[in-house]
Amino acid sequence: MLKRALPLVLTLALFAAACGSDQFQIDASAAEIFPGECVDGTGDEVTIYSGRKENLIEPVLDAFTCATGVSVQVRWGSSTQLALLIDEEGNHSQADVFLSQSPGPVGFLESKGLLGAIDHDVLRLVSEDNRSSQGSWVGFSGRKRVLVHNIDLVAEAELPTSVFDLTDEKWKGKVAIPGTNGSFMDWFTVFRDQYGTDVATKWLNEMVANDARYYPNNRSIVEAAGRGEIEVGLVNHYYNYQEVVAVGDDHRAKNHNLDDDDIGSLLIITAATILKSAKNPAGANDLLAYLLTAPVQSYFTNHTLEYPLAAGVEPNAVLPPLTALEIGSVNFDALGGGFDETARIIEASGIQNQ
Amino acid sequence: MNQTRAPRELQAIGLVFALAFAFPGLYLIWRNFTSGADPLSLLFTNQTLQPFWRTIRLAILVSLSAACLGTALAWLTTRTDLPFRKLWRIVLPIPLVFPTFIGAAAFIRTLNPGGLANDLFSSIGVNRTLELRGLLGAWLVLTLFCYPYVYLPVAARLRHLPGSLEQSALVLGDSLPRTFRRVVLPQILSSLSAGTLLVFLYTISDFGAVQLMRYDTLTRAIETNYLARPPTAFALSLILLVFAGLVVAAERSVNRRLPEVRTHRAHEAVKYELSRWKTPAILLVGGTFTFSFLAPMAALLDWAADGLLRTQRGGRPLTIDTSKVVEAAANTLSASVITGIVALIAVVPIAILVGRYRDRIGRFTHSVVIATFAVPGILIALSLRFWTLRSGFLGDLLQNSMAILIFAYVVRFASLAMGIALVAVTTVSDDLHDVAATLGADRWRRFRSVDLPVMRPGLLAAGGLVVLSTMKELPISLIVAPIGFPTLTTRIFGSFEEAFVAEAGIMALVLVLTSALLTWFLVLRRVDHL
Repeated sequence: MLKRALPLVLTLALFAAACGSDQFQIDASAAEIFPGECVDGTGDEVTIYSGRKENLIEPVLDAFTCATGVSVQVRWGSSTQLALLIDEEGNHSQADVFLSQSPGPVGFLESKGLLGAIDHDVLRLVSEDNRSSQGSWVGFSGRKRVLVHNIDLVAEAELPTSVFDLTDEKWKGKVAIPGTNGSFMDWFTVFRDQYGTDVATKWLNEMVANDARYYPNNRSIVEAAGRGEIEVGLVNHYYNYQEVVAVGDDHRAKNHNLDDDDIGSLLIITAATILKSAKNPAGANDLLAYLLTAPVQSYFTNHTLEYPLAAGVEPNAVLPPLTALEIGSVNFDALGGGFDETARIIEASGIQNQ
Repeated sequence: MNQTRAPRELQAIGLVFALAFAFPGLYLIWRNFTSGADPLSLLFTNQTLQPFWRTIRLAILVSLSAACLGTALAWLTTRTDLPFRKLWRIVLPIPLVFPTFIGAAAFIRTLNPGGLANDLFSSIGVNRTLELRGLLGAWLVLTLFCYPYVYLPVAARLRHLPGSLEQSALVLGDSLPRTFRRVVLPQILSSLSAGTLLVFLYTISDFGAVQLMRYDTLTRAIETNYLARPPTAFALSLILLVFAGLVVAAERSVNRRLPEVRTHRAHEAVKYELSRWKTPAILLVGGTFTFSFLAPMAALLDWAADGLLRTQRGGRPLTIDTSKVVEAAANTLSASVITGIVALIAVVPIAILVGRYRDRIGRFTHSVVIATFAVPGILIALSLRFWTLRSGFLGDLLQNSMAILIFAYVVRFASLAMGIALVAVTTVSDDLHDVAATLGADRWRRFRSVDLPVMRPGLLAAGGLVVLSTMKELPISLIVAPIGFPTLTTRIFGSFEEAFVAEAGIMALVLVLTSALLTWFLVLRRVDHL
């Protein structure tokens, strides 16, 4: 009898032990953003569909609730899947706010006419370049494109200054590209917008001819570079910092910044939107404004090492400074309509089979 | 086999279930019509045919290897004097519980160049450069994570086979391999083919493993097109589902021609002595365990340990606290156990229709349930939102409820319980049934007092298979779950996607530990092969 019950007892004991200790680190982080006394709940509620993951934003949302008394409900997920869900739900969506990790899903929802207008008071917290001209989205943090490289396999001095250098024979079979990943597709769409579709397509085809190697996403490239499986890769700056924090010196990769005016140094923004069908647009606007306050923007740059977008907040000192040119030069609104063609060009290049 | 017609009520239940399980398929057809998709003309383009062919090739290879491996493991753990049989029975099903997005990544982290195994080998002077990727990588990782789909039903069947036939064959001088081929194999063939079909269908629906192994299949093409070209994504998904339907129909027609096998609770099962084959047998079982369980576990432990050491040294604190892990573990456990129970309730009537009455409606429902296993989870999730939003009052009632989540899980995974449930149903002897009927027991009474006790171990195993699979489910858990209902898998996903690998590793270990305790519990309850 005892033997039979043992697993059950062990399970319960495990749970009891786990319940016994309660360290709320989240609360400490939230208090860093909002150190004051929490106000009483107002009964008001905002529902978010968040492509931005728990680890990166939960303390911010806790601080918002603490500061305003507005409670927050969140459905977590991947930005793409949540955008599909909102499209499926149409006007019946529970979401007031949608937070996207990259511009593509926002462009998708915009093309479906599902996004509402954000208050001008909120929009003007960021520069014109980092918000929609129609007022349907506003950027709240940025991730810069970089070339991640394995420090044992490639010397710093050999690294290129432009993505156009990577089609050179010297880099044959050594460059990883996250061909079908959302942020790469966004990047490629801007590439087309800036240089023309012919130039961008030619570059991609030459990369394929130069045996560029396909990986499914930024993370897997950074991880592979850290192990020395590949030499260099085109990724967002963010992941390498995370790997270093998580794995330490065993991770043998570093970010390399291409020239400031190179398309390979593009800033990809994470964006916030309010749905046309939002039940609490006022609360949604308050939340977006809160994401753009100085303490929250500082939190993003100091804890998750992203670029702050609100005026007056400096990037963390470890991040290479952005030039005005980078942020100011991109028309993100082109992303929505151009996405279809981007997907076609990428598939036709055959990068996914490299 | 009982030749009486199936009771009307049971047929009605079968039809209702067929409709319930057809939700995702009907949704896909609807979407293809309304989005102006053109699956037929899309089918014969290179853009479709190439990944489609790769999908088929991978699915065939994985099915073959998983069938061989699963059968060998089942035979060794049920019919031989293999040492530590109980331990193997607890650990062999566990690879089922690794969500492929982190399981495959952990596998790569351990075995690929520069990984943990490499560090270990290079310290003794061996440098390996084999990079697992493409067809080889996808085949290996899917075989290692899918063999339990074959192992569990075949082991359940083997335990029910009477040993007398085998004994006679052996006494008459047949060699062991010959006895296996001529006596054992025909008797387990229907379970084997049902399990292999599940492997095939899982492989064509998998996204996590193939994308990390960089093998370009149809699911990758679907994923890339969701936002960019939705009609293409819907058309490709429909092609996938129709293909799955054809494969299921083909399996049914082969399976129906298989010889009828009488099964009993085997009291006199033959146990073979492995003698000089003991070492190879241990190597096979131990090797499977090493690659399918220890390899990913090594990376998970490494990530978790790095995170814990980091906080000890005053580095960045972990972004999870124990109360959140406990909440997620409790949610995972409760939702998956309820799903296991509901899946059994759904599957048993269908299994009775098919197994006892050979009923046509039952066979149709059975095929619908099995084919649904090939539908990627995200489409099941989206289809449920689609249908609930269009069902008025009922939809409002179900929105954000646990009921809709459980329903979605059941639609996704009930197919897994079907094979073992069918074996369990055919285990009940007709004689026993007839005697009970003669004694005046009504149908419900017979079910409770004759069928259920005999079927219980098999049903628990079938339910266990569903529970283990539900524990790792991701897209449905994200999209259909009530808001504010995190599971371990959704938390692992959130952490892993943003490279918070310590947090992901710790929670994945909790997931594995929870499932190990669960299988231990079931094995101690003398469940058939879990």
